Amino acid sequence: MRKTKASDPLGKGLARAVWQHRFLTLLLVLMIAASVIISVYPPLVLAELIDHILEGNILRYAILYFALTALGGLTDSGREVLIAVFGQKITHSLRSIMADKLYRLPAEYYVTTESGVTVSRIVNDVSAVETLFTSGIVSMAADVCKVISILIVVFTRSTGLGMLLILLLPVLFYITRLFQKRMLAAQKDRQKAVGSANAQIPETLHNLRALHVFRAEGWMRKRYSRFIRDGFQAMERSNFYDAIYSPIILFTSAFLVAVMMCCASAGGRFASLFGLTVGGAAAMISYVSKIFEPLEAIGMEIQNVQTAFAGISRIRELLQAAERVCPPETAEPVPDTDTQPGAAVNSTADPVVSCTDLSFSYVPEIPILRDFSLELMPEESVTLAGRTGIGKSTLFKLILGLYTPQKGTIRVFGQDPEEIPDAWKRFLYGYVEQTFRPVPGTIEDQISLSDPRISREAVLAALDTVGLLPTVEALPEKEQTAFSAGLFSQGQLQLLSIARAIAADPKLLLLDEITSGLDSLTEARVLDALRKACENRTVFSISHRLYEQTGGRRIVLERPDGTAESADSAPVPSC
Amino acid sequence: MNKTKQNLLGSYLVREKWLLVLITVTGILYNLGIIAGPYFEGQLAQTLSDILNGLRTKEDMFRLALIYVGVIGFVQAVRAVKRLYVRKFANNLNRRMKDTLYGNLIHEKAGASDDGTMMTKALSDVDDCVEGIRKSVTEIFDTGVALIAYLFMLTFYDLRLTVLVLLFPPLAYVIAERLKKPVTESAAALKKSTGVLNGRTLDRVQNALVYRVHGQERHQNELYESVLTDYEKRAVISNIFANAMQPLYHIVSMIGAFLILWLGSRYVRSGYWNIAAFSAYLACFVKLAVKSSKAARLFNAIQKAKVSWGRVRELLDPPYEDAPADPAEPADLRVSGLSYRYENGPEILHNVSFTAQPGQIIGVTGEVACGKSTLGKVFLPVNAQAAGTPYEGQILWSGTEWSALPQDRRYISYQGHQPELLTASVADNVCLGADSTDLAGILDTVSLTDEIRDLPEGADTVLGESGTTLSGGQQARVALARTLAHPAPLYVLDDPFAAVDMPTETRIFSRLRDPGAIILLITHRITHFDEVDKVLWMENGTVTESTHEELLAGSEKYRALWNLQKGGAENA
Repeated sequence: MRKTKASDPLGKGLARAVWQHRFLTLLLVLMIAASVIISVYPPLVLAELIDHILEGNILRYAILYFALTALGGLTDSGREVLIAVFGQKITHSLRSIMADKLYRLPAEYYVTTESGVTVSRIVNDVSAVETLFTSGIVSMAADVCKVISILIVVFTRSTGLGMLLILLLPVLFYITRLFQKRMLAAQKDRQKAVGSANAQIPETLHNLRALHVFRAEGWMRKRYSRFIRDGFQAMERSNFYDAIYSPIILFTSAFLVAVMMCCASAGGRFASLFGLTVGGAAAMISYVSKIFEPLEAIGMEIQNVQTAFAGISRIRELLQAAERVCPPETAEPVPDTDTQPGAAVNSTADPVVSCTDLSFSYVPEIPILRDFSLELMPEESVTLAGRTGIGKSTLFKLILGLYTPQKGTIRVFGQDPEEIPDAWKRFLYGYVEQTFRPVPGTIEDQISLSDPRISREAVLAALDTVGLLPTVEALPEKEQTAFSAGLFSQGQLQLLSIARAIAADPKLLLLDEITSGLDSLTEARVLDALRKACENRTVFSISHRLYEQTGGRRIVLERPDGTAESADSAPVPSC
Repeated sequence: MNKTKQNLLGSYLVREKWLLVLITVTGILYNLGIIAGPYFEGQLAQTLSDILNGLRTKEDMFRLALIYVGVIGFVQAVRAVKRLYVRKFANNLNRRMKDTLYGNLIHEKAGASDDGTMMTKALSDVDDCVEGIRKSVTEIFDTGVALIAYLFMLTFYDLRLTVLVLLFPPLAYVIAERLKKPVTESAAALKKSTGVLNGRTLDRVQNALVYRVHGQERHQNELYESVLTDYEKRAVISNIFANAMQPLYHIVSMIGAFLILWLGSRYVRSGYWNIAAFSAYLACFVKLAVKSSKAARLFNAIQKAKVSWGRVRELLDPPYEDAPADPAEPADLRVSGLSYRYENGPEILHNVSFTAQPGQIIGVTGEVACGKSTLGKVFLPVNAQAAGTPYEGQILWSGTEWSALPQDRRYISYQGHQPELLTASVADNVCLGADSTDLAGILDTVSLTDEIRDLPEGADTVLGESGTTLSGGQQARVALARTLAHPAPLYVLDDPFAAVDMPTETRIFSRLRDPGAIILLITHRITHFDEVDKVLWMENGTVTESTHEELLAGSEKYRALWNLQKGGAENA
């Protein structure tokens, strides 16, 4: 299989997304800087005001103070807006990248990976990355800037206090992280105990008879109570840290303020080191209380980043998954359904499908097809037979270009099926799966698959061909009725499947075994619809019942170690 | 009705009354103490000013600083105690409620309830309710008392200015209330858009190959792109309403601060205020502005607690008492004319009669679906029976009707087809909390001694969910051990040897007989029926009370069964 692997597609994608929104990013950086700087100033203005309070002319300070506060509020608000926009832009870009990856993933991926897993990557893990950016990196940068800028201001006004802060900050930050880690550990223990308690509930209901017979109710209650208590004991540890953290920080601030004031009033060397005016003291008190606020936030942000990393590595894994060979984009106009599609390569003499010396296996140990050859001529009807699991559907998937054969060639209308442009596909061939796969939307959407090139008329014509038109027209909003599986019977869903396949009027129809599991009356209707759908088309089918009804050529697929192909061609009563 | 339910919440609270007293005292102390911060900080600035002007000495400052640190230390210590005990209070409340819920669950009738979904929901309601109560208690002090304390301090400094500046925080609150509608609307729109995004993502992945063979993947990605664009828009709007408005409300509140600076400085110049009053007033106001923006939380918290309490209180009926019951005295069993049917079902037992004395082993057998398991289940306590109608006829235990026996004694020990094991240790599974059980002896009786010894932690090894760590045969024997560990004058053993090999069966059977108990041995394996006292042969819900020898002579089917099994056993 051809594989392409980008070194770090996630990193590249993120870098591209940031670059794409570089002005927004720049604006965000500026806004954060503005918000940090502005938030530092009001205490200084207040200091000036207090120092000049007896001189009388303080209105300008009051106005400046208010203006700065208001501006601070505005920049804070602006910062929040920009963070929201930025975070969402990143999220959007990432999801677009992942949608593109969905296009590039091989069919094998979809068969082997539960869709819920992939959806969770795109929905939940991308949200985690957004958190990483907004509540993680961006806020952390802002908070760190805040601490630094306050430190700078404090140093310019009171070197002594600045030095005290430099000494204390790392200690307090260490305590913060220690507390947060302990709390996280306690919360995990609690989760575990809560899990045990919760698990006891279905277990109790399941074993109620024994518990009643042996009068074990009291014992079970004690047991449950113990799990709950274990949970709460873990929670109480977490509560303890939570309860004392903020008081510790506030007490520390008070202690710092007291030390600063004492030193400032001690006179001599101390006083010059702390060098404070009355207003300056008020400002410093305000800074001391402000500088500890971001500490707790930074700790939480570190935690956010850590949790987001798990999501990031999962996204990276998906983006690094092996890719298929994507069909070329075509500039050619969409083939007109009225004229013969691919007319250039499909003269009446050329086969519609040809397989030459085809070998294929999903895993090397179990060969499915070996040196298989086949030709389907225009308007021919061929039925593929063979026991279950022999590889009939696999052959279809090869013809559909979902898998690459290890050896040999396949040509559909003269082209390698993997190279057929997307825009051409449904005009060249239709594929009816074993079961109908609904898509969100109206009944029309089920048939057109929201393809704008399939007109409403084409949808109605397809419905008419399969005999579903009366049923659909009886619905309240006809073909515009929102689809729900309850609207149709099992057989009718199969008919929708056929209508979807023939909506673009393709010249080749691939029919999987679709009449299995239907009652005979419904089967007759489906076969009837199929017969109509097969008119004027080349048909390749696995349907045993269709063969009985319409005849045609029959090919029996056998195990690769036996003969690859035993074709008992019977003269065809053309369908 | 309503009143008693209300009293119910009260009764939960009363049990925690000492915690509540502690919380109230510390809550009030702390929230009164918070004005100490601004007050002392103002005093500190004033003292510094006085020192610089030579009016006071540094000793005054040292003394003040010491008091300041002491007071703040005390206030914060009180706060830590309050925070800790509010949570402890909530935890206790939560635990009590859950205990009650579980107590009610375990007394439910077997098989009558769902898979526990309702219970799980009720438990999460308890969490919500208690969290609401906790928040209410917290906010009553931290918002209610704190606001009053701040207000008191502000008016103490100056009433006129206080009235003036206090116009603004409520104004901010009113604006915020006004904007509540777009906030909730944008959140709802985001939620809807999230739903669409999830649905579309699932479709895109689930139907990837459908789209691929129809050449629709690119086009689907374009459609998906428009879903992403819509989601992006909604998320941004909702985010802005949720986060970006708060700073703007703060600006409105802070208009008051401007007035304080302007008018307050006049007070200082006129000598009405000193620096201490000025800065304390300002600091106090700023804190009040922040607090008042949280006033809405108080009401939200109370509201939420009320709603979840309303949902959960019906389920919090006082729990049943569950006293462990001692085994009853041995007695004679006399069954006559017994008929039984399940709810809306056909009659399973028809006119069954037999007698049994202590010390006897009664073998019960018959073909598949003859009603022998049902015969055993009739003896189960009512709350351990599947939905069925009361039996007809008589089951007399020492002359008393079986269904009317007092519930303070245990009359039956039972083993059914399902082992019904718990995710607990082997020992716990056998004893189920019953003391004075000879575990080793019982494990030996059921031939488990060696196998249990080989487990990583012996009898203390915790079995996986439903006992899955053990083989089916081992599970059955642990269940049999559990039955034997709960002695009763009547043992009903339904197919105890189903997953046990013949030598083990022989070994267990040889130890079963109990002089003080009747054993009803229901089985399709009758290799030991030549050793039982009596055989009940069942056909279509009717019973022939007989002995092994009589049946061997009189019943062709029984004879065929015996020869088949005995022959198999001898060949083995």
